[in-house]
Amino acid sequence: MQTTQAFSSEFYSALLPELLLFAGLLALILIPNLGKGTFRIPGTQIRLPWLLGGQRFSLTSNPHLPAWIATITLTGAFVAVADSLNGGVEALSVVSSDADTAKELLMVNGFSRVFELIFFGALALASFASMNRLKVEGVGGKLTEDQLYNNRRQADFYILMLTCGLGMSVVALSQDLFVLFIGLELASFSTYVLVAFLKESKAGAEAGMKYFIVGSVASGVGLYGLSMLYLWAGSLQFEVLATAFATSGTEPLPLIGIGFVLVGFGFKVSAAPFHFAAPDAYAGASSPVAGVLATASKAMGMVGLIRMLLIVAAPEASEGSAVWLVCLGALAALTMTWGNLAALGSTNPKRMLAYSSVAHAGYMLAGLTAVGAWTWDPSFAGSEGEAALLVMTALLFHLLVLVAFKLGAFLVLSILESDGDASRLSSLGGLARREPLLAFAMFIFMISLAGVPPMAGFLSKLMVIMGIVNVGVGNSASSLSDFHWVWWLAFLMVINSAISVFYYLRVAVVMFFEEPEEGREGPLPSGWQVRTSILICVLATVLIGIFGDSLLEMCRTAAESLTTDW
Amino acid sequence: MQLVGFPVVAGIVLLAFVSNTNQTARNKLNNPIRMASFAFSIGLFAYTTWMFFEVFANITSDGLAFNDYKLHDSYEWFPALGIHWTVGLDALSFPMVWLTTFLLPVTIIATWHEKNGATYFPTILLMGGALIGVFVSLDLFMFYVFWELTLIPMFFLILNWGGKDRRYASQKFFIYTFTASVVMLLGLVTLYLMQPDQIGTGGRYGTMTGRTFDIPTLVEHATAANQDGWFMGESMQKVLFVMLMLGFLVKLPAVPFHTWLPDAHVQAPTGGSMLLAGVMLKMGAYGMFRLPLSMFPHALQHFQLALMIFGMVSLVWGAIVCLGQTNLKKMVAYSSVSHMGVILIGIATMQPMGWAAALFMMFAHGIISPMLFAVCGAFKHHYHSMEIGAMRGMAKHSPWLATSMMFAWMASLGLPLLAGFVAELMMLIALWYFIDLEGWSVLWMIGPALVLALTAAYYLWSMQRTIFEGGDETQPPATLHGDLIPDITNEEKIAMLILAAFTILFGVMPWIGLDMMDDYCRTFFEHMISNGIFKGGA
Repeated sequence: MQTTQAFSSEFYSALLPELLLFAGLLALILIPNLGKGTFRIPGTQIRLPWLLGGQRFSLTSNPHLPAWIATITLTGAFVAVADSLNGGVEALSVVSSDADTAKELLMVNGFSRVFELIFFGALALASFASMNRLKVEGVGGKLTEDQLYNNRRQADFYILMLTCGLGMSVVALSQDLFVLFIGLELASFSTYVLVAFLKESKAGAEAGMKYFIVGSVASGVGLYGLSMLYLWAGSLQFEVLATAFATSGTEPLPLIGIGFVLVGFGFKVSAAPFHFAAPDAYAGASSPVAGVLATASKAMGMVGLIRMLLIVAAPEASEGSAVWLVCLGALAALTMTWGNLAALGSTNPKRMLAYSSVAHAGYMLAGLTAVGAWTWDPSFAGSEGEAALLVMTALLFHLLVLVAFKLGAFLVLSILESDGDASRLSSLGGLARREPLLAFAMFIFMISLAGVPPMAGFLSKLMVIMGIVNVGVGNSASSLSDFHWVWWLAFLMVINSAISVFYYLRVAVVMFFEEPEEGREGPLPSGWQVRTSILICVLATVLIGIFGDSLLEMCRTAAESLTTDW
Repeated sequence: MQLVGFPVVAGIVLLAFVSNTNQTARNKLNNPIRMASFAFSIGLFAYTTWMFFEVFANITSDGLAFNDYKLHDSYEWFPALGIHWTVGLDALSFPMVWLTTFLLPVTIIATWHEKNGATYFPTILLMGGALIGVFVSLDLFMFYVFWELTLIPMFFLILNWGGKDRRYASQKFFIYTFTASVVMLLGLVTLYLMQPDQIGTGGRYGTMTGRTFDIPTLVEHATAANQDGWFMGESMQKVLFVMLMLGFLVKLPAVPFHTWLPDAHVQAPTGGSMLLAGVMLKMGAYGMFRLPLSMFPHALQHFQLALMIFGMVSLVWGAIVCLGQTNLKKMVAYSSVSHMGVILIGIATMQPMGWAAALFMMFAHGIISPMLFAVCGAFKHHYHSMEIGAMRGMAKHSPWLATSMMFAWMASLGLPLLAGFVAELMMLIALWYFIDLEGWSVLWMIGPALVLALTAAYYLWSMQRTIFEGGDETQPPATLHGDLIPDITNEEKIAMLILAAFTILFGVMPWIGLDMMDDYCRTFFEHMISNGIFKGGA
């Protein structure tokens, strides 16, 4: 592993995606303001053009411009990450100084790269699709003040998209809880505003408010936990905390601290019982934003959980298995069951998808529980943590492919929203007749969410189940009673998958069977951007499900780079 | 193997062809697409028939070892997980593959005038591809993928072309079978992970877990482990056996897991029913032979009695329920449940002959039941009703339909010289072997004896009430609303004739297919006995 300081040449090449985002951010602020503004030299009549303000150029006043800048920036960042993953990532650690007391700040390795891939991919697709969602009232020429004002909001939206991405990637990179917290808050605040961005609708404002209040309480609780950990260990460095945990991790203070921190991340992954704001937020936000919440934001929460539970309070630091194991297992069981049962009863497709996202959080927590349990069988610990590695690969893979079908489903709803409304199941009615290809895409997303082969969702769910079962059966167990109890989490997951089929299929049935709502028989509003995004999602869902081997390998390498302990 | 890929690809291509057109343009495409699908399915049928003569017809019993596969092919699919695209055929799977390719063109002929043909026929092809995939796959992962994949086209067949309550039926069908198969999936995963580490490693073979999904390897390994002890340990073998069997019993279906079947059948379109009854139900029995019976023979012995009870209950219960049905198609659906009971009993006898009976029953029922459903479909299509008694004396008006119905009904109740009879007779003989003529075990015979009478009763009675008795020559049935009484179309006649011809063919010369099934079962038992897994036996 290399170490380097900030602003060295290695730093620039390794953090290229983030720097790209930063450049895009500056461009988003500057470019729409370029105009024929002049500057009069005081005391003279000479006016020097300085290009800021004044009458805008026709190119820079185009309200679509911010969307394009954001999409191109995010795609560029995505490509940069993918490119660096392609050649195998060499771990690079960014430290604060070259002294011995230097603090480790950021770490670029395969693990963080995969998460960057998730964040930038989801955000790029969402930005691209949002071009058809934010109404543009006229281009150039004579616009009223209100229209101009509305057009200017475009820039705000995409600036928030970029800051969101920046914050998320800081979370994935950070090696220090404090740095992580800053990234988390940057991303969170961006999402609070993004959720409330549809201020014209009551639901949007309400959703933003709820999400903000609950989210900031969760952050506050998390911050309080951080302060306890700092009080206990004297540092928020992951390394220092991990060492301290290995020696005295079962003291009450750090356990309470870590519990509080988990509340903060639990909110982000929308684990029950911290999920109450999620359905409201998803339903009130515009669909692409909801899609970001369900994929990228959730992945960010998972990074936090993985870092806290596996690196700081590592399972091998405590005897047998991790101290938090039972707690997390119960949380996983509660989350997946609650999410599925609530989704069964919801008639708003966005709320349904929100609850299904809660259920998926439960599956991932179950996987994380299994990782925590892998040391229960002493013969496992010797096999270089093969079992834990499998689960971690499965988790990364699941988060990665979730972007394709979860976001895709939200994007289909997004088209329906611009048609009028997508808050009732009947809004989907007759979609197969109105737009057969869209209905087909939605069907693919639904069965992928349900875990039906050969979609990507099946492969990822199979991997998670396989990982959990692998840990559960151990190396020598030969009967059900010998199994570790995490096996039953896999069982519960299977039962939950069966329950979930019901509400996913209901969407398909409504699309293919029911009549369209009154006055909504015609084709849906056009918009090639959102359709292209959906097409990318469909292709990814199907192709990864069939030819996903190289992605699996990539996730495995990423999981290996998470820690050297397995 | 091309056999799987082609129908799937052809179906997708044809669907893509029509996907972005409007209704009128699509109606114009009906005919070309129907012709293309038909030509394609005929090609497939020719291919498997050629395969029969080339490979399977001249296999002597020596050339057919247990766990040996013809046309075996393997490619890496997900090397990271040890998942391969492995296909192969043996005497267990070949008849099923042939049956599928045989039923595809027949189904297309029988439902030649189905509405929205441009999407209907490609869906049928997709269905066929998925079914063939189940039968040829020799990799647990691939097997499960195709197993689930069959649900999707069938779901759409019921949903888009089904009857009045199709919405309820299609959802019930999907949820029931999906629930069963996820439990089976957990069993498969546990089986996969509990197998001893690092068998046959080399290169990137299962780099992530060091295990294999390969069914032949697993079976080989299971046989070795079963020789002195239980593969996977006693309690685990039982648990896994139950988990896998659950998935297969629901698919079969056995009472009490059968309730999805009548709903699905009654609401499904004729073509859907024909494939559902003809091949899809057999997936359950096929899966039993392929996985639990081959890998967990000890557990099979342990649960022999339970299986026998399941079989008997299905057999008797299905037949009794048939008597009370007023809907022709529902009656036929329950008779399928009853016949699937025969398969279970055949398996539970643990006799080579019983197993051969089960295999031949799968095959024979696969030819007869599509004919039953084609007849029901013709009633629905031409008389707009499937209520028994709504139409009477049909034989006078529609001789073709009446003749087909009579033939199909007779074949299904087991008339000698027709295919169904052979299987039922073999099952009875094997059951006699099983009960060894001592003590109260003779009581097992009551079930089949009762059902022989019951089957004759419900078939003959329903025939009497539809095509023979009563009816007014001058007065067409009320369901026709005064229209002229039609007979079945020429296409339906051709389909019925083909099905009838093959029913007779396999009734008079059962050895065409029975020989290889018989060999399969005999080598299976010889293999188990020579390895000391089964003691004694027939």
